Amino acid sequence: MPEQGADTSTMPPLSDQELLKARARLPQHVVHRSFVAETVVLNLRTGKYHGLNPTAGRMLEVLETSQTIGEAVPALATEYGLEQERIERDLLSLTRGLLERGLIVTTYDETS
Amino acid sequence: MTKPAERHTLAGETDDHRTAFGLTLSIDRRISIPGLGRSAFAAFDRPPSQVRLDEGELQHLWSSLETVPLRARELRLGDEVLLTVDFAEPPGYLLSAKDFGRVLISPTGDDLLCEPDPKNGAWANILAAQALPLAATIRGLEVFHASGVVLDGRALLFAGQPGAGKSSLAAAFVKEGARLLSDDAVALQLMDGELVAHAGSTVLQLRAREHERLSAQDRASLGEITDSPFDKQRYLSGGIGDPAPLGRIYLLERSAGGPSLERLDAVSPFDLIASTFNLSVRTPARLLNQLDVVSAIASGRLAYRLRVQPHIDATKLASIVRESLAADGPGPAVTMSGSGQQPPGL
Repeated sequence: MPEQGADTSTMPPLSDQELLKARARLPQHVVHRSFVAETVVLNLRTGKYHGLNPTAGRMLEVLETSQTIGEAVPALATEYGLEQERIERDLLSLTRGLLERGLIVTTYDETS
Repeated sequence: MTKPAERHTLAGETDDHRTAFGLTLSIDRRISIPGLGRSAFAAFDRPPSQVRLDEGELQHLWSSLETVPLRARELRLGDEVLLTVDFAEPPGYLLSAKDFGRVLISPTGDDLLCEPDPKNGAWANILAAQALPLAATIRGLEVFHASGVVLDGRALLFAGQPGAGKSSLAAAFVKEGARLLSDDAVALQLMDGELVAHAGSTVLQLRAREHERLSAQDRASLGEITDSPFDKQRYLSGGIGDPAPLGRIYLLERSAGGPSLERLDAVSPFDLIASTFNLSVRTPARLLNQLDVVSAIASGRLAYRLRVQPHIDATKLASIVRESLAADGPGPAVTMSGSGQQPPGL
């Protein structure tokens, strides 16, 4: 099934509110494996490994299965017993970091 | 020059058939690679990799390139280049080793074309030390820079920096009855979630200091003494070289304190990746396999940290490892299945 919305890589940077409405996915050339103390994200195109701490690794897992980045916030807030504002801030920071490194792609439907 | 298919037909009659790093090999009889086994169990049910001697063909293939080769690896000692690996399509990986010669390995790892340095009678050592591990990596195995032994049917691997004591520890096990799997590089294969360790070369190289510690009986138990390059004594351990399921991998670390041994329940994947042998192959398939092998080691809780003092008696270290194995019990039942052929006893 084709992704809904446009690939944001060709757009100007999204605002926080726009990013929360976007959908995050790993491109085909990026894989990850979870270990006890970290998650390793491997970009098969560049051959670069990236390490994520367990919290960031879990956030990535939830992001992958959420319709939007914002949808992941309440689930993670419940899981970690933290306020949604705090989770939202951390999740946006992680998402921007992953985007910068080409480890995720986001799609955004401006009409939504 | 002959086509690969024709060579395969001819090879059965004249070549020496061996196994190493999970590969079946058909080796030109003019090439003598010490320490390779003759196991009936290989990683793949495929025609053997051909190891051939043909300087003219190698030069022709490499000089006919239409693209600039990519330098995949360069090993230096000071200003001196000791070893390089260059990649170009279609011929593949060209391994050049100072004083040993060149080996051109096809992109599929099933053809190794050799151009020896005529001044070095032991040039073929570069095959077991570098070229075959590279071919095994290309073929889909993950080679670790480790010595390995088989004890009670399971492979124990000892990984660490040069000089950490990998070979000495392997020797300490061998003289007490374990089977040498490999001295310097062991190929791991992931088969349905289980890891199998494939033998490399069973030429064991001990530093002179370690060799001098051994009694005559111990030396005899390590195998036939061969040549002695530099400050090392080489033993030809021999054997069939059957693979074995991976039991443990010990990451040796030099430490002023210790010795000490701990299981790494939260082993760093990067510590394991750093223990892999060959960085020349950066294809997506290899990178993914490398990560999956490392993941299987971690999830199987097979990694241990062994801190060792410099110059410690390896026999003492071996007894620490043995005590730990006895305390842990026999470990989980090992079952394997998959596309490759199964080692015995599984």
